[in-house]
Amino acid sequence: MKEVKVEVIGTEPPCMRCQATRKAVEKAAVKLKQAGVMVNIEKANIMSKEVVQKYGVLVSPAVAINNTVKIMGRVPSPEEVEKLIMEEAK
Amino acid sequence: MEEKTKGAIRAGVILAFVAVVIGLLIYSRIVAYSMAPQSKPIDLRPLPLWEIPIVYLIDYFSHGTICLLFAFTVAGLIYEFVPKEAITKYMGSSKAVGYALALGMAPFLTVCSCTMVPLFGGVLYAGAGIGPAITFLLMAPAANILTILLTGEMISWEVAGIRIIASATTALVAGIIISKTPWGKAVEKEHQIANAASAKVEIVKPPLDERLWAALKFAGYLAKQILPFFIIGLIAVSYVEAFLPEDIVGTYLTGVTGILIASVLGGPLYTPTLVEVVLGKAMWDLGMSKGALLSWLMGQPYDVANAMAVSRIAKWKVVLTYMFIAWAGSVAFGLLYGVLSGSL
Repeated sequence: MKEVKVEVIGTEPPCMRCQATRKAVEKAAVKLKQAGVMVNIEKANIMSKEVVQKYGVLVSPAVAINNTVKIMGRVPSPEEVEKLIMEEAK
Repeated sequence: MEEKTKGAIRAGVILAFVAVVIGLLIYSRIVAYSMAPQSKPIDLRPLPLWEIPIVYLIDYFSHGTICLLFAFTVAGLIYEFVPKEAITKYMGSSKAVGYALALGMAPFLTVCSCTMVPLFGGVLYAGAGIGPAITFLLMAPAANILTILLTGEMISWEVAGIRIIASATTALVAGIIISKTPWGKAVEKEHQIANAASAKVEIVKPPLDERLWAALKFAGYLAKQILPFFIIGLIAVSYVEAFLPEDIVGTYLTGVTGILIASVLGGPLYTPTLVEVVLGKAMWDLGMSKGALLSWLMGQPYDVANAMAVSRIAKWKVVLTYMFIAWAGSVAFGLLYGVLSGSL
């Protein structure tokens, strides 16, 4: 089984759009599990020094797949996240 | 291929909608149809208490709907299509670039307040330093596209333009001054981290029709966030318009005193986004001077809620310094505009 790490980078406490992003990623994860891809969802705080050190300045909400920021400043659809993770899992 | 055609059709439909919205605004301009409510205090005063807000709201929405529709649509589109990578990539490169980006990008990136404080933190940590971070923080609420569009349509484009210039100058001055103060430098030192950027940022761009749809969805989200407060604000404005006597406005909201009072009221009195524009317009109708109007509109960045959020990252001393500079800026530009426009 393939494993993919997905970080949902948002504000703490989570803003509405960050929550919506997390939900989209969770939905995609459920579907991908059936397809044999394990998605580890991690929450990251956009204001933490670790995140800024790693990625630089970001616009919330952001989604990083296997340590690469793919989506920034917008809420993706579950289908889009699913597609991006699938590409990464190949 | 079929998926492509479908996408093109979807994009076409959305673009047509946007064209209609822009067309409506241009049409209203051609026929000189006013976007602002037409109620005068004299019409509102004789009405029973419960009827005042209803009449005012009907009046407002019969005139202002096109304007609001336009403002939210354009804000959504700009937010979606503005190159967000630019700010994240170049913000840390040098002071001058940092200041320029803070001024140029803040109005477009921060129509949603939840992105503002995180960006302030990010800019501060990533090496641009406290100066550009403060400039960004002050510029964002003072001159974001929603407020500027509404100021332009409801009050006048002259006031909107001056609001942008005055806010930008004040934000820049505040950033530069704070970066020179010992307490500003201390915050900068404490937060600065080596920006190794070990991981990559590769933004994926979805197809045009999805981006357009996302833009409209964001516009809807903004409207949902802002409109409830906006309507409550309008109800309050209707009572101000009806019951605030002209002679009080004439005495206290004109001249140098007027500017001082307007600038002090504008900040701590936390008005929800956009309401300050309508309230400003109401007080202007009642006789507030143009100078005081500008001071009032510029009072947004130093409101208390904002300061609280920032004080969690920066020290109180920094917050108080920028609040003071922002206040001084609103007074200075209020006076200058009042004198120059002959409406002090």
